[in-house]
Amino acid sequence: MRTSDLIARFMAQRRALIWLGVAALAFVCIAILIARIEVDSDVINMLPSGFRSIDGLKIYDRDFEQTRELTFALHCQPQDVDKLEEFAPQFAENLRKQPWCERVLAGSPMETPEGVRDLQTIAVPLLLNLEPAAFDQTMATLQPEKIRERLHRMRLEIEAGSPRPQFELGLDPLGVIGPALKPFAEANAIEQEQPLTSPDRTLRIFLVVTNQSSLSAFECQRLMRQVNAFRAQANAGWDGGPLEVLVTGRSAYVSEISLSMRYDIVATLGSSVLLVGLVFFIGFRRWIPLLGMGFALLLSCLVALAVGLLVFGRLSMLAVGFCAILVGLGVDFAILIFGRYQQARIDGEDYQQAIATAVAKLGRAVFFGALTTAVGFLALVLSGSMGFSQLGVLIAIGIFFAGLFMCTILFLFIKPDQPPQQHDWVFEIVKKYVRWTVNRPGPMLVFSAILFLALSAIGFSPVPPLRFEASVRSLEPRNSRASQALQAIMAKMPTRWEPVLAIVRARNAQELHDDWQKVSAHWSELQKAGKLKGFTTPAALCLSPVWMEKNRQSLGKVDFQTIRTSLEQTLATEGFSRDSFSPAFKLLDELQSVANPTAPLPDWRKQLPKGAGWWFLVDRYFAKDPLLTTGFATTPEPVTMHVQSEQLGRELAVPDVPMILSGWSYTLADLQPWSHRQLLIISALMAIFDVSLLAVLYRDFRLWLLQVITLGFGLGAMMATMKLLNIHLNLLNVLSFRLVLAIGVDYGIYVVLVWQKTRELEHDVAGVIKPVILAGLTAVCGFGSLGWAHNPSLSGLGVACAIGIFWSLVATIFFTLPAMAAAKPKKWNESGPPESI
Amino acid sequence: MLTASLAHAQSLSPADIKSLLARIREHRASTPDVHASFQEQKTIHLMNKPLVSSGKIWFHAPNKFRREVTGNSPSMTVSNGRDLWIYYPNFKSAEHYTLGKHSPVDAVIAAINTALNLENVENTFHITGAKTGNGYDLRLLPRSPSTKRMFQQFDLRLNSDFAAEKTDMIQPGGDQIVTVYSNQTHAAIPESTFEFTPPAGTEVATPLGR
Repeated sequence: MRTSDLIARFMAQRRALIWLGVAALAFVCIAILIARIEVDSDVINMLPSGFRSIDGLKIYDRDFEQTRELTFALHCQPQDVDKLEEFAPQFAENLRKQPWCERVLAGSPMETPEGVRDLQTIAVPLLLNLEPAAFDQTMATLQPEKIRERLHRMRLEIEAGSPRPQFELGLDPLGVIGPALKPFAEANAIEQEQPLTSPDRTLRIFLVVTNQSSLSAFECQRLMRQVNAFRAQANAGWDGGPLEVLVTGRSAYVSEISLSMRYDIVATLGSSVLLVGLVFFIGFRRWIPLLGMGFALLLSCLVALAVGLLVFGRLSMLAVGFCAILVGLGVDFAILIFGRYQQARIDGEDYQQAIATAVAKLGRAVFFGALTTAVGFLALVLSGSMGFSQLGVLIAIGIFFAGLFMCTILFLFIKPDQPPQQHDWVFEIVKKYVRWTVNRPGPMLVFSAILFLALSAIGFSPVPPLRFEASVRSLEPRNSRASQALQAIMAKMPTRWEPVLAIVRARNAQELHDDWQKVSAHWSELQKAGKLKGFTTPAALCLSPVWMEKNRQSLGKVDFQTIRTSLEQTLATEGFSRDSFSPAFKLLDELQSVANPTAPLPDWRKQLPKGAGWWFLVDRYFAKDPLLTTGFATTPEPVTMHVQSEQLGRELAVPDVPMILSGWSYTLADLQPWSHRQLLIISALMAIFDVSLLAVLYRDFRLWLLQVITLGFGLGAMMATMKLLNIHLNLLNVLSFRLVLAIGVDYGIYVVLVWQKTRELEHDVAGVIKPVILAGLTAVCGFGSLGWAHNPSLSGLGVACAIGIFWSLVATIFFTLPAMAAAKPKKWNESGPPESI
Repeated sequence: MLTASLAHAQSLSPADIKSLLARIREHRASTPDVHASFQEQKTIHLMNKPLVSSGKIWFHAPNKFRREVTGNSPSMTVSNGRDLWIYYPNFKSAEHYTLGKHSPVDAVIAAINTALNLENVENTFHITGAKTGNGYDLRLLPRSPSTKRMFQQFDLRLNSDFAAEKTDMIQPGGDQIVTVYSNQTHAAIPESTFEFTPPAGTEVATPLGR
């Protein structure tokens, strides 16, 4: 017995059994879904693996404290700048009181007495960490005559009116901790370049480290609910004009993205089902089969999700878009099968026989359609992106099940005794077009060839270029408040660009110290050569046990009593207040205590107060694991091109120092060849697979050539449309080309296979063209509905695919059909089999 | 002393102060240059005793000035409105500051500008005052936090010609600077007075990295 007959018999005679099987399958899938569902909302995981720059981003994202940092900004009207300045401390204080707030930075710590005091508490370990020669030179300033000379000069400068001595004596009364505190002074200089207040003073920034326990989507949502509640009443006490309270940061993004996923699922799936249903109803004017089609598609989605969860453990947020795509693709099979079933019923076949005919006639086409589509999507695995790999696998699984269910379960929703559709105006229009084209293919062939040649010329021509957007903004969610806040802040702040991150992990403190010493020395040379605009590293904060021990030995030879006496005498002679110099005496006590070889070496981490604003600086450099660190190199120009990232990769590297270069700008520049490879090589591989499959299937050079030209026209018109509509390629929607190839080739297969075999043009060619049109339109709707998604990678992919599929469909109907009729003419004969000419 | 005189003098209403400031502005507009001698007493927390210095000052509204301190520790402070130089002839050294970057030296400029120019002071200070004999005593309390960072209080005595006779500035840390001006003239001052080029061999520092 043929498979089609077996299926028909089961569907006609064992309906209860099939229903039972369907219910069991749905139950198992739902159980897996409830038990295992876990969604990965990290945008970095959408990027391909195997790139060190992306590994670096993940490390920075996962292990560094900045991920728990939120940036608040207050933005006022120009006439309210003084009020804003007055309000800022109150706002910062309110922030500090929030239960989710751990630390707040509202200004440079150097400008507050607490900040200076905190800095003095860590002076000793940093001083001990100086290079031994520099340490000896620094300690030489404690010789009595040097102390006398320095303080005398300071007094004269104060008399002369200089503000410098007051600041210098306030921070470093002995003149020894200045060199040790250099990294903090450098950080303060950075603050001058990247201030917390905009030049026009209408915007003030507050950095907040939150105490959230994890960066999971739910935890971020919980935090942002609290933050938004605070934001709603944050301008209490403000008596000026409109005041915007902006918030951005990792948690704000994660919260918005994860919430937008819910919207994306509902909006894209809902609109996809609605549009696809509408097209189906227009084509067949039946509700129950439409319900059956929806049920079969839903079951396909469920099965694919369940298998996907079992295979991957957790699914990327990008993969959630597969449902809408699957609806758009799977409905093709339903339309083809149901269309042929209807045809058979109109021809007078009974229910079981009509099922057998539909499956027998189109089962092969559905199988190959599913195969090419599945292979097309499976090729996403080659992208190296976990998100896209999952999307590809889920759709490949789903499409196979959709094909299977449309040949089986769909018939459960078709009543055996339902009479066939009597008048089908869609079919009549299609039949008229097919008849006209078959009889006179010339006009349509010429018209469509000219149109597609013109579009392909625009599409494949280098002018105008199809722009490639390699900016991180191309990946940000649309209408995101976090993104808008970031843009508002960037617009107000002085022009600056993201530095390149250099991540260094060491096995021990000494190695870390030595590595950063080498890096700092090398980067200094680069800066002198003008290859770097600037850089900051944690070099001075990475303690060297070897240097510290050596410096401690030097300290043991210092006569602290003589220094104290000399200082006392000089203060009295110069008229300085002893109370103002108490930090100097405290520092001498600490140095003497550390000189004791049995005392443990001091560690600035343990000495810096927990609430100190300096932790914001420390957290920039050090991960939770203190042996994992990062430095920042600012380039003379923003990094936008791959050639720049390559050059930086060569120049920033230091022999024997394992270093990962990263940062969003650097990574996106680094990924450019990957994107181009996605566009060119993998799409070319896909095309080779498709044309080979077509050659095997058709075994006819002319038909094969026509199909290849059709695919080329489809892609050319797609690119032309994207150029004309100013739709840019980005890192993710370049993948649409291969999907268009995979889906577009199906339409050709359906039409060409039928053309080759048919003996009844009316039944078979017109009978397949109508479902192909409906299938194409539903696929366009399915992909197009992704355009409503907030996730730009998903919406960009959907729009690009919708455009490509539309043109593939148009090329199949208006170019392939007349071209076949011209190349392999068949005579239209309504009452009997066609005659080959 | 100024506080006591304010208490016993005839208080000025807000309207009187507004009118007084308008007259001062008119007077300043006609005579933008000021040259005077000064004597300064500086009480700072770092020193046990107040520091006393004297010298001369040249000012051109709105923000150019030159201040020369004489005596054992001579110095020269020159600003063209953009940069500020402090030169120590005894040390052959100079400090160079760029103004307008929330630098501590902005306080120096603000103090001189407030005393000698009184331009726009009503926007940055709450002003009270009294008429005392032939002149006026004004008390300026900063409005904005940025000004509060420079002064806690600024008392100013003007003579009948609206020229500053004495200023008393209290800084946030409690440091106090009292300056007495004398021999004021309004003759035109050459532009070159407000420019400074360090003499050869001068060691130039840019403190605070600014």
